[in-house]
Amino acid sequence: MAAIEATEVTMDFGGMKALDRVNINVEKGDVFGFFGPNGAGKTTLIRVLTGQLEPTSGSVRVLGVDVVKEPIRAKELVGIVPEVESPPTYLTGYEYMYFVGKVRKLDNLEDRIDKWLTYFDLEAKKGTICKDMSKGMRQKLMLASAFMHEPELLFLDEPFINLDPIYQKLLREYLEEYVAKGGTVFLCSHILEIAERLCNRLAIVNLGKVALQGRKDELVRGDEDLERVFMRAIGGGLIRRPS
Amino acid sequence: MLKEEFRNHASYSGQERFLTFPVFVLVIATVVALTLDKTLETVSLGQLMEFSHLSAFIYGLSVGTFGLMGRQYIERRHGRNNYLVAMPYILPLSFKTTFLGIYIRDALFYLALLLVPATGGLLLAAPVMGYSYASIGLLFASVLLTFLIGLSMSFLASVVFIRSKRWFGLFTAAIACLFVLHGAFGLLPLEAVLPSLGLQMNVRPFAVDATEALMFAAVSVAEVLSMTLVAYALVEVRISISSQSYADLLPKYHEKMRWLGGLKRVLFSKEFVDIRRSGTVAKMSFSFVLPLLFLSFTTWFVNYGLAIPVGFNTVFYASMVGFIGVMMYSWLNNIDLAEYYSLIPVTVPQLIKVRVAVFLVLTLGISASFVVGISVLNDEVRYLWLSLTVMFVTSLYMVLVLAYLTGLRTNTFLFDTSILARFSVMSFLPDVCLVILSFSVTTEWTFALIGIAIVLVMMSLTSLILYRGIESKWGRASFTD
Repeated sequence: MAAIEATEVTMDFGGMKALDRVNINVEKGDVFGFFGPNGAGKTTLIRVLTGQLEPTSGSVRVLGVDVVKEPIRAKELVGIVPEVESPPTYLTGYEYMYFVGKVRKLDNLEDRIDKWLTYFDLEAKKGTICKDMSKGMRQKLMLASAFMHEPELLFLDEPFINLDPIYQKLLREYLEEYVAKGGTVFLCSHILEIAERLCNRLAIVNLGKVALQGRKDELVRGDEDLERVFMRAIGGGLIRRPS
Repeated sequence: MLKEEFRNHASYSGQERFLTFPVFVLVIATVVALTLDKTLETVSLGQLMEFSHLSAFIYGLSVGTFGLMGRQYIERRHGRNNYLVAMPYILPLSFKTTFLGIYIRDALFYLALLLVPATGGLLLAAPVMGYSYASIGLLFASVLLTFLIGLSMSFLASVVFIRSKRWFGLFTAAIACLFVLHGAFGLLPLEAVLPSLGLQMNVRPFAVDATEALMFAAVSVAEVLSMTLVAYALVEVRISISSQSYADLLPKYHEKMRWLGGLKRVLFSKEFVDIRRSGTVAKMSFSFVLPLLFLSFTTWFVNYGLAIPVGFNTVFYASMVGFIGVMMYSWLNNIDLAEYYSLIPVTVPQLIKVRVAVFLVLTLGISASFVVGISVLNDEVRYLWLSLTVMFVTSLYMVLVLAYLTGLRTNTFLFDTSILARFSVMSFLPDVCLVILSFSVTTEWTFALIGIAIVLVMMSLTSLILYRGIESKWGRASFTD
């Protein structure tokens, strides 16, 4: 069973096609990189794949669940880190973890909260409400809350943004370990160096359409790096430079 | 900034629907103007003018209150929106300049939204009713000044608030004192607070006194300019990131709410943490208690001030309480963004239903105390059982109508005229029935009781249908729309 199967997914926002007949197939154990220029449709696809948005047409199955018909079931199974860190304004870090744990009906909740607050070094600031946290702290909290139920599949939209180099490294190592244990990651990122080290399969999207998809070792030719593959896929040679 | 404000409002319900709002106002104003003769049989033109000016003043105050939110606009992101008000951080602009921009934007935008179409309604009715165009022009000018006095006062208050809570308290207390001196003791004419009303009362259609009118006009303009200039001079932006550490409330609340099962328990607990930490309880109570006091004062004024024996009794108050309290539901939807709910297994209908329950918990205590108090004051304790039933059913019905029609975006959807029209019809019809029937309680008890029972049964059945309908109407809605 594939971890993610998106078939002919189209998302039409009042005449503007954010996604145009997108087909994605992610196997269990993959770190699937989804790349594209700004406004290409990456975040929209993540929102469709996680049941946050209903597609105009097409079908989506995540871990065998039809996301359009059972979005809540799909959210029970996966962990999601959104593009913009947006934890509740008036809850403390501890309370947000507690809230998410109770919604997800998790056992050993205190142990889980302790583990993740410690992992992301949020223990000392656990009484700070989210409104007063720095962007980096909020991002760490979103990561911790997405990881705490140990999902089989993670959807990460720009997870490295706002993190300092220490936590970028820590997160990368955690994801490598997570995949080694059988987890699957669907990753959107503009930080191609990190993505290149993590991903085994990738797709490049441009103007709502998948321009390139496959195994990384098949798509990266000779001494090319991911940046050159990216430029080739979106026609980057045609980009005008400011004079 | 004007374009930003328009697009912001239009984004709630679509450009066309938003533009129907002033048309809606125009139509209502035309109807009111065409039936003015009937209205003048019960109230005088002077009283109507006083009412219009007070309404314009409160409108100006409310518009200006959004100035207080400027602080929030600057401190934190509103959904995915950023506003021009925050531009001085990255562009060579001063906050004083943007403040003045906001003032002018609000004055023009809200003038075009309400006062201009309302005046348009009068102009349309003028050929039929024989109103003088000059009088309408003078009414517009004086009401505009009243609106600007409210707006300037509110902007000044918001600037003072940022600088010093103590001075803010003194400023608002001083303004409140002026109104109390007028309203409660009759020691101060309303023209002393709103000189624009003095302008109105000295021009057509009232007896013309050009000198008095010009003096009141000059004082009004001076009042607007001085408050605006002082506010401009005092503008200061203080961004405070608190380092305060909070004790964990959520687990405590969750523990206390054992009687609630499953997901509701944690959602309910979180709502109460939000309400407590955001300081919304005080604002909500104020916005509920103040209209109740206003209602009591108005009915008292009609009964004893105007000596019109309308027969307001406890059942009447009970029916009104449910209708007045409903906007508290919109407060609940405005405490925080709900984007993070889209990441966890929670649906929009689940949150709507929890907020309806929270609304009832917050309001029923205040409403019941008010109804009990009125019944004791009016020596009508015998009607208390009926009054409390009426209060409960109307409160439940009203919040379910609003929740069903607007979901989690109450404020934004009420700018959609089709939703506003449906809400008005659904709330107005049972309200009118209950009010009329309540007047018969003391004279035709059996008739009134049967009538009220029928209305309450209909409202209860509709409430049940609406409650069940929330699932199908909002089941596929997204938290991030």
